[in-house]
Amino acid sequence: MTQVVVTGLGAVSPYGVGVAEYWKGLAGGACAIRDLTLIETDGFRCRLAAEVPQPLAGSTRRTRADRLAIAAAGEALADAGLGTRDCAAAALVVGAVGGGMLEAEAWYWRTARAGVRPASLAALRAVLPSAHAETLGSRFRLGGPRHTVVTACSSGAVALAEASELIAAGVVDVALAGGVDAITRICFMGFNALKLLDTAPCRPFDRERRGMSIGEGAGFMVLEAEARARARGARVYATLAGHGMTTDAFHVTAPEPEGDGMMRAMRAALAGGGITPAEVQYANAHGTGTPQNDRIEARALARVFGEGGLLVSSSKSMIGHTMAAAGSLEAIATVLALGHDLVPPTANLATPDPDVPFDCVPRAARAARLGCAISNSFGFGGQNVTLLFRRGVA
Amino acid sequence: MRARVVITGVGVVSAAVTGDSAALGAFLVAPFAPTARALGAGAVAALIDPGESRRLSRVCQFTIAAARLALRESGLDPAAGLGLVVGTEFGDLASTHAFADGFLARGHGGLSALLFPNTVMNTMVATTAIAVGARELALTLNAPTVAGELAVARATAAVASGRVPAVLAGGVDELDPVVERELERFGFDAERRSEGAAFLVLEPRVAAEARGAPVLGEISAAAWRALPARPWGVGRTCRSPAIEAVLEAAGARAADLGWVYASGSCDDARDRWEEQVLGAALGSVAPVSTLGRLLGRHAGLGVLRVAAGAWTARSGLLPATDGATRVERVRPGRGLVHGLARGGTHVALVVDAA
Repeated sequence: MTQVVVTGLGAVSPYGVGVAEYWKGLAGGACAIRDLTLIETDGFRCRLAAEVPQPLAGSTRRTRADRLAIAAAGEALADAGLGTRDCAAAALVVGAVGGGMLEAEAWYWRTARAGVRPASLAALRAVLPSAHAETLGSRFRLGGPRHTVVTACSSGAVALAEASELIAAGVVDVALAGGVDAITRICFMGFNALKLLDTAPCRPFDRERRGMSIGEGAGFMVLEAEARARARGARVYATLAGHGMTTDAFHVTAPEPEGDGMMRAMRAALAGGGITPAEVQYANAHGTGTPQNDRIEARALARVFGEGGLLVSSSKSMIGHTMAAAGSLEAIATVLALGHDLVPPTANLATPDPDVPFDCVPRAARAARLGCAISNSFGFGGQNVTLLFRRGVA
Repeated sequence: MRARVVITGVGVVSAAVTGDSAALGAFLVAPFAPTARALGAGAVAALIDPGESRRLSRVCQFTIAAARLALRESGLDPAAGLGLVVGTEFGDLASTHAFADGFLARGHGGLSALLFPNTVMNTMVATTAIAVGARELALTLNAPTVAGELAVARATAAVASGRVPAVLAGGVDELDPVVERELERFGFDAERRSEGAAFLVLEPRVAAEARGAPVLGEISAAAWRALPARPWGVGRTCRSPAIEAVLEAAGARAADLGWVYASGSCDDARDRWEEQVLGAALGSVAPVSTLGRLLGRHAGLGVLRVAAGAWTARSGLLPATDGATRVERVRPGRGLVHGLARGGTHVALVVDAA
């Protein structure tokens, strides 16, 4: 069985560009959720989000999301030390939802209000989520299998799982995978319409939690067959030991109340890695801060790992819900936690919810010896993904 | 040990044909270009109950209807473990426009919490998973031109590896007036485009035979790769790693292929590129059919072409797509389904008779 290892990381987060900035923010428990400036918020109940700070590098002719993706993917490839020849056969799997919607909305709004049409067909084509993969594939000359997965808020994690399957199946021995999303009007307005946004920065696992905060970013990993990484002397951050992908088939927006699909995803990841629940010390939770998600996720975690069986924290308390990027940015946080033996905190957690039977690492990072950790990601449509990481190589 | 993957059900919803593999076969033996590109009102009424039709967007109705047709033919019980992989180029763009238009027309009061989930492209997978009870792996794959065949290729890999017991693999798209208007404005309206959905039930041959399911064809190999090209551009490279990969995996030579279904759809620059890619990989040994010229391109068409490939492998008949409504006699058995998108994503599948 081919082992899949992580040899490169790249992140653009609400803390700024780069993995170092990202980890500094997470480890310091810094909340990057602030007043939203990218789009108009007048009249909305919630006016907060976690934006990537300006200025963004790259041509302004590209969409914001493409620029986020290029920066994160470029960092991951450089971090892994992959050259042009490596890239020629590398797979590319991108998790995306909004595509270039932020720019498309701008012209759609102008068309509706002033009759202004887009200046080029490229602007129209950039709307699609698959545009990121085309941009990255062209920019970095990635010639292996290429596909774009859209599984709502679990897209970034699914991209990593998909790349892992391509490597495990022997189709390729190296892949660039991750997720990207920029804040969009439709996303902001939609979650407002669903009344799922907290008017304050989100408070996952807090008894007083009122909803989520949205964010944006991009997170990419270079995944590689262990033998290939060893042969070229690559640094190995962690092993992606297993993953599970399931569907609730229950409701388009609400998770199945017993957390059955979540449990099946976590158990599949454990089984795939040949790892028992007792060997896992940390869960980077989906942890959106909505009353329903956090309660059901905690229930599912308790059934798989036992009450109090591991440390649990939510990166979304600091960087918001970065949509398609969430699964990959949080996977990076999980890998870095393993490497640093440090569990990032759940910011803004003042009054732990008694229905959440875990130590959710309130407000300050916690030193802990970590051998294995999971990252959970769930999405609209009941799309559940668990990634299981193990320190080093077995 | 990788499992042999067979097709046990077909479901098609399109302007030309709606039904299972028998309906598709009846169309392919006397093919025609439908006068309408869009599906008529009530096209899927018999497959969607009134409660669902009130609740579901049009493109979700196409998806569920085609999925149900495929499952019905297969006789598969989803409770035994069913995955779902759906390819789409545009998703539920109509709901996205409606959501935005609500705000633009009526401000905050015009925002619909019911429409918002449909703005995410996985809404067809979400509603279909609920409708048919698919609880395993569920993926939405977004790609121009090749989303349908990409979904079949990805699903084939999932079944072959034992990742899931069976998969409903499909493609779906809906004509969108804004997209059509803008394509026309920029002079990209020569391509024949349409709408609809198509699904296949894929499962291991041993499982299908054990339950006495109809085996309509076998997908002997599937691969997808990327050729160099700018985003949405047409490239120059003609060597096809995807075709090379499937021929090697299937233990086949170009001369073993009796027929080819390609993704031509009257996008002349892209069609020429694909002709060059096929020519470089296969020479001129096998006749090529491009159903897109008849039926119009949408993500379901890539799936329909795989189903058509299984039919050709069985029958030795290949629809001519040069404007004539006729079929040609070809060598039955093994052939190739191929798709190439602007931007370089390309997919190849070797399809055999049952």
